[in-house]
Parts: sequence; structure tokens; C-alpha cells
Amino acid sequence: MFTGCCGCCSALRPRYKRLVDNIFPVNPQDGLVKSNMEKLTFYSLSSPEKLDRIGEYLFQKAARDIYRKRYGFVIIAMEAMDQLLVACHAQTLNLFVESFLKMIQKLLESTEPQLQILATQSFVRFANIEEDTPSYHRRYDFFVSKFSAMCHSNENGEARDKIRLAGIRGLQAVVRKTVSDDLVENIWESVHMDKIVPSLLYNMQESTFYMKETSNIEIAPEDQVDPPILAETCMRELVGRASFGHIRAVLKPVLRHFDLHKLWVPNQFAIHIFRIIMFSIQAQYSYTVVETLMAHLDENSKSSPTIRTSIADVLSKIIAIAAGESVGPSVLEIINSLLSHLRDSVRHGLSQTEEKQYQEALINALGEFANHLPDYQKIEIMMFIMSKIPFPLVDNNTADNLLQSILLKSLLKVGTKYQTIHLNNTFPISFLEPLLRMSLAPDSDMRLLVQKILHTLIDRHGNLEKLSKPTVNMGALKLTLEKSSRPDLIFINKHGVIIYDALYTSLQINTNTVENVEAIYTTIALLCVELASAETVIDIMQLIFGIQSLSLNSTDMSNAQKFHLQAIVAALLILIPTVVTIKPLLDYAKEIIRARKSEAPHLLPDLLEQYPSKAEMANKLPHLLIDKIAVCEYLNSSGLDSSRLLQMSPYGAGKLGVTGAGTHRHSWVEAGARGSIVELPGTQEVDSVSSSPGVQRKLPEEELTFESMKRVLTEPPEARKEAEAEKREQLSHTFRTATFSELVHRTQPKHDLLQNKLSEIFKSLSTSEMHQSPSERNKKSSIPVYEQNFPELFLY
Amino acid sequence: MEDFKFLFKVVLVGNAGVGKTCLVRRFTQGLFPPGQGATIGVDFMIKTVEVENEKVKLQIWDTAGQERFRSITQSYYRSAHALILVYDISCQPTFDCLPDWLREIEEYASSKVLRILVGNKIDREDREIPTVVGEDFAARHNMYFLETSAKEAENVEKLFMKIAEDLMQQARSKDLPRYDSITTNISGRTSSISDSNCCSKLT
Repeated sequence: MFTGCCGCCSALRPRYKRLVDNIFPVNPQDGLVKSNMEKLTFYSLSSPEKLDRIGEYLFQKAARDIYRKRYGFVIIAMEAMDQLLVACHAQTLNLFVESFLKMIQKLLESTEPQLQILATQSFVRFANIEEDTPSYHRRYDFFVSKFSAMCHSNENGEARDKIRLAGIRGLQAVVRKTVSDDLVENIWESVHMDKIVPSLLYNMQESTFYMKETSNIEIAPEDQVDPPILAETCMRELVGRASFGHIRAVLKPVLRHFDLHKLWVPNQFAIHIFRIIMFSIQAQYSYTVVETLMAHLDENSKSSPTIRTSIADVLSKIIAIAAGESVGPSVLEIINSLLSHLRDSVRHGLSQTEEKQYQEALINALGEFANHLPDYQKIEIMMFIMSKIPFPLVDNNTADNLLQSILLKSLLKVGTKYQTIHLNNTFPISFLEPLLRMSLAPDSDMRLLVQKILHTLIDRHGNLEKLSKPTVNMGALKLTLEKSSRPDLIFINKHGVIIYDALYTSLQINTNTVENVEAIYTTIALLCVELASAETVIDIMQLIFGIQSLSLNSTDMSNAQKFHLQAIVAALLILIPTVVTIKPLLDYAKEIIRARKSEAPHLLPDLLEQYPSKAEMANKLPHLLIDKIAVCEYLNSSGLDSSRLLQMSPYGAGKLGVTGAGTHRHSWVEAGARGSIVELPGTQEVDSVSSSPGVQRKLPEEELTFESMKRVLTEPPEARKEAEAEKREQLSHTFRTATFSELVHRTQPKHDLLQNKLSEIFKSLSTSEMHQSPSERNKKSSIPVYEQNFPELFLY
Repeated sequence: MEDFKFLFKVVLVGNAGVGKTCLVRRFTQGLFPPGQGATIGVDFMIKTVEVENEKVKLQIWDTAGQERFRSITQSYYRSAHALILVYDISCQPTFDCLPDWLREIEEYASSKVLRILVGNKIDREDREIPTVVGEDFAARHNMYFLETSAKEAENVEKLFMKIAEDLMQQARSKDLPRYDSITTNISGRTSSISDSNCCSKLT
């Protein structure tokens, strides 16, 4: 064709050199000589063995041009190489690629931004080519280093962003090129990751993009991509390609970057990045991120609480994403780690507000995590947290105390996320028992927490809000009711006793605030609503009577507290027939409430902190009290078997108090006349055995040692019952024969001694093993009954 | 026409504002940029020098002195053949930080790395660190010592030439491939010296 333009000297040169020379125009502005380029391409395709020499020669030429700053020719040379690279067959490329990369490196080494960008473009093109034979000796170290440096470019004006973009693209290309093949350079080595990751993050943090996440719908056209967006894309790709072993290699520089650039506070950027990571990472590895972040929290244990709070906050924001994928031990590991952070925090920084925020953040994280786990795991977690709560429960402001309440808070958080279906699933005995035990903690806030946990776990129909305050105006509540299922009834039959008992006992505690009492009311009311059935009604009625007599007989409660008890009795009384439609009982309840309203409004809700001083004690208003016999009658008339109600009440001082007060003595006689099961005056005092000082006289002193208690607990219940019956017998005998003053005289001096002993036992019991049999628990919780009620006996 | 027999990587470290970038600029471009802003991340320059009639290419990585870029700058130590630790003779704190820098170097750089201590800004009147103190420190830590002024172009050329000579000698005296193999991971493909040997023969 058109030969001869190269003059005579070209005739002496090898053919490939002549072909290469021909693609360059005289004037660089004219660009690549297309037709000659086609010839060169054709030549290299037909004799691929020459390709490496062509590459080498092109490189030499370009190097010379760079040195002479004839950039136009350099660009042409690069373009030619690009075309050859694309055109030629993969198998023949290997050697050519060496020259090609050398060329790119050469361009990158120049200070000219234009050449650097050009080189990057070519590199990206190269990275997209699949090579048949990987070249094991090829290293990308320089490229990673240089591209990372470009990402930090600080040129003036527009060039800055262009170079940065080129740098990011280059990194993306290196990653693409190397990540798919294990045999080539391992891009995941920290040498590389320590450069790539901070470079990407540095570009991402430059934008305010993450601040306004809502407006990211608009998609920028390809050529208008700015460094932050591209860096984000690249980051997603990188994380998405990371396998399990490599995740940490990515995360470590991320965390270091945040540390060094002080990006934890404020933490929007950190949250942004970690969300990106969580969403791009292969789902099965997502909990590794959580683990790593947690480990980082460990390392930062000496940093300021604000930093830790921020990290914990980030954790809480991403933990939900991981929860779905976490299985088995990793779940408990995460929980355990969170809890131990909580513990450390409690141990080290007492009562700083910042430290508190940190704890809040951790608890939030815990809650978030639990929220996204399947229900059965939530139970597991609750039990796990429970097992971490230190015992004994003591009321002093120690770290233990704080930790207990923090852990209870976490428990509440998890509990709130749990949706109860069957109560027996929710409350395995190993969970219920310690929970109830904690409901008797000396600290009133802690008791409140426990009640709240119970609320959230018991409530299934969204009645919690409605029942949060005692009220007698049931119609207004619009409770959601559902017939309780069989498993639930079985559950309450089995465990009702200890639940009611714990509730009753916790009502006796004289440090109860209004909130405590209200919370206990709510628990009882929720139980009532959730487990509405004939059986439960009787049980709860029994409890109500227990509470009523408690309010009448307690000596160490303030008047206000007694009024509180009366008020919740009234509220519960009207709740029961509303829930289980018992018309006569409802009428009776209304009647009592009406009477109270007119005569003694202080015996009705709402619960007040302070009552007017003229408010009369309930003892003085017997006609306003709930009459057991009357209630029994109404129950019977509605077809419920109320006989159990008349039997001995499990609530210690209860019946005895009623008898002692003398208000209902006639009822007992009536009841006896009617021939119900319980009529003997002897058995009337049955339960008082535990609360009467008479025992003291009958039993030798050493009976109250810990060992003897233990023995009592381990003995079969039958034997114990027999013994108890005997004791009761003796006791009633004593009471009938001895004079009042004698009794007072006998017991009074021992009063303190006894109480000391009892509290000692109480303490040692609560320190002992977590899992105790229900009978043990009964025994223990009945001890305060003693403490608080036996002096009452002698007032009348 | 550029071709080289040896390629060495030189990394500059030291506190912010001691004049690392100015040293590099002075050496590679022969200018002293007044009002040079703080380096971000890492900067890269190349310069080919001739030692004993052999071309030696120096890849110079100029790192940011600011603390916040420490993680990325550290990743560059690892591949360095020579580390230039710079302080400002008119600024005591920059000298006081040297032990910290040495610790970093110990931790992140190769143990064979050539280390040079440079006291920069000797053109300044308000010297705080006497030459002897610098010399003493360098001697104690087994480093070369040089005082320079990027502004007056004093000792800058000498500094880099010295490095080039030393590294070349090191490369020659030791079994070449072995030295190479030690640093292969680090030094990257272009430092494969035999490779470039081939190239130069070809031309």
C-alpha cells in the first residue's frame, strides 16, 4: 500500500520495528495512524511470537518520549498497546503483558497527572482481560502503592479529583485482577490491605454524602462519579469478595483508620461504613464483623467512655444485620462478650454519666441483637443473662448491685423483643425461679425491673399499657381477651404457687414505692387476663385475700402502703369478674367499690404517695373489706368450686390476721356450719405455724440452724407435713392455754434474736445454689413472712 | 533514554513540618516549594542517578507526618530499602519524637533497612539541636547522620547519592539473589535486578 514514508533507514530495521514506527504520525496532534495500526495488529496476530518484541520496542519508544516530555507520542504508544492487548489472543499475551505493565509503571512514575490517569485507564482495561496462564512472578506491589498514593492526591484544582478517581479505579482493578486467582499475588496480605483500605476510606470520608443518606437515590451518570461514590463501590466490592480468612485483613485497617482519624466520635461515618460492610459482606461471615468490632472495644477499654459509647453504638446499629446469620455458639459468644463489657464498665467506672451512656449503648446493642434472633434463642439468651447475674442480692451501692440492675435492664431489653406464645416456653423453671427470686431483691428499683420483665413476658395481647395503673373502671380499659390455652393452664397449675407466692412476698417488702406496688398489680392483673379460667380465678382470689389481710395486719408498713394494698385489692376484685364473667361477683365488687368511693376513697386507686392524715385505716372499716364467705358464695353460684378458697391460704399471715382482727370470725363459724372442708378451729391456724413465735417454744433452738433448715428441705414433703401438722396441733394448744401476757413475755426478748437468725439463713440460702426445688423456694420466701408478721399476733 | 540497573525504594519519615516533602522536591525537581501544604497520605517521586557509571533508580515515597495517616504510611515502610528519618534542627519536639519513630521502624520495616538520620533546616538561625546531639543519637542507634537544608540545597544531593551508593554496595557485596529474595515480597517486580539487566542488554 502506501509504503516508503519512513525513508531508507527503516528498510534496514526489523519489520516489527518498522510497523511500530509507522503508527506514529509526524505531528502528535494527529493521533494514531489508524491504517498502520491495523497493519501492526494484523502482523502481531499472524506472528504472535513477535508480540513481546513489539511490546518491548513500544515501551522503549515511550520511555524515551517521556524523558523528552513529548507526551503526545506517549499517549499514542499507550493507545497502540491497548489495542494490541485487546486484539491479541490471550495465549500469546503473556510476554507482551510484561512490557505493557512496564509501560504503565513508567507512566505512573511521571509527575504528569494526564499520564497517570491514562496509565490507570490502560491498567483497568488490562485487568478486565482474562489471562489463561497466570504469571506467578508478576507483582502488583508498585501498583497498589502508587494507586493508594494517588488516592491521597493533593493536586490543585480539578486534577485532584481526577487523580483520586484514577487511583480508586486502579485499586479496584488490582483487586479484580488478583482476587479471583489464588496463585497470583495475595491481595489480602496486610501489606496491601493497609494501603488499599485506608485509601478508600479516606476518599469516602471526604464527602458529606453519608450525612444525607436519604437523598442517595439519584444515580450519578458514569462520567460524573466523584471519588467518594466510587470508593464506596470499590469498598463494597472488596468486602463482598473477601472470604472468611480475609475479612479481618479488611477490618483491621478500617478500625485503625477510625482510631487514627478520630472518626468514632461523632460516629455517623463509622456507622455508614459498617453498614456498607455488613450489607456487602458474604452473609455467613457477617458475625465476624461483630466479633472484630467487639474485640476492638476490648482494645479500647482504656479510651474515653465517649469513644466506647460510640463504638458500642455502631455495634448496636449493625448487630441486627448479623443476628440473622448467627448460629449456635457464636450467638452466646457475642452475648457473653457484650455482658463482659458491661461488667467491666460497671467495675471500673462507677456512676459517671458517660459510663452510663456506654452501658446504655451496650444494652441497646444487646437488645438489637436479640431482636433479630429466633424466639427460642431469646429464651436461651435470657437464661444466659440470668446466669450471669451475681448473687446474693444485696442492697448496698457496690459494683455488684449496679451490675445486677444493669443485667436486669439487659434482660428487660431482650424480654421486650420476645413475643410470648406459650408461657411454659417462656418460663422454663430454671429461668422462672431465679427471676422470681430476684423479684424479692432488697433494692426497690431492681424489684421494679423484675416486674417489668414479667410484664413484658406475660403480656401477649397488648394489655400491658391498659393495666399499667390500677383502676376500678374496667369498662374503659377495653382489654383484649382470649381463652387461655391448655398448656398455659398446665403451666400455671404447676408454677402458679411460686409465682403468686413471690408476688405476695414482694408486696410485703416495706421499701416498696408506689411504682413497685403498681408494677406488682400489673403482673397479677396480666396473669389474670392471660390465664383467665376457673382455676386461676380461685388462686387469684386467694391471693387477693392474702393481700387484704396483709394490709390489715402488717406492722412495719406505712399507712400509705397499706392503702396501696387495699387499692390494688379493689382493682383486682373488679378485674376478675370482668375477665371471667361472674355476674354476682362483679356486682359485689361494684358495690364494695361504690361504698369505698363514698366512705373511704383512699382505699381505691389511684395510688398516692401521701394520704390525708384523716384517712381511716381499713381495719376500722370492716364493711368495706372483701368478705371471703360472700365471695365464695358468689363463686359457687356461678358454678365455680370455691372450696379451695376456704381452705388454708398459702399466704402466711393472711388468715390468721383476719381471725385475729376479729372482723370475720363469724364468717368462719358460718363456713363451718355450711360444712365446707375447713371448719376445725384447730386447722384454722395451720399456716400460722410458720409465722407464730409459738414454734419457738416447741422447737429447740438449734432447729433454726442452717443445717436443720436444709434437712427440712430435703425431707420428703409427706414427713414434713405430718410433722407440721403435729406442730400446729401443739401450737394451737399453746395458744389456747397460755395467757396473752405470757406469750408476749415469752416471745418478745427472742424477737431480735430470731430475726437475726432468720436473716442469716435467708442470706445463706440465697447464696446457695441457683436451682432449688419449689419447696425450697417456698420456704425461703416465707421467711420474711415471719419477720414481718408475727408481732402482729400479739396486738390483738 | 532511561534504563537502570538497580531500583531502590527510599521512604522518608518524621514529624509533620520537618521538611520531608521539600527535601524530596529539592532532590527530584531541584526546587524549593515555598508554603508547601501538609502531605496527605503518601507522595511518590522518582529519580534516576548515576553511581559508578551505573544507573540507579530511586523510588522515593514521601509520607505524611500527621498522626492520622500513620496506618497508611506504616504500610510503606515494609517495602523500603532505605528509611530517611527527618527532624527539624530548630524544633526540639521533632527531635524528641525520634525514639518513637525508631520504635515504629523496628516494628514495621525490614530489619535490614538502611536508616539515615537527617537534621533538616540548617539554614535557620534558631537552631535548637546542636549537630553533636544529632550525631550522638545517630551513632547510638547505628544510623547515618547528615544535616541538610532543602531551602539552600545543602547536602540534599549528597544525602540521596550516599544512599544510592550504599544500597548499591550492599546489593553487590552480598550475594545478589539472596538479598533480592529477602526483599522480593517487598521490592516488587521492577526491582528484580536481573530482569532489568536483560533489558539493558537487549537494547
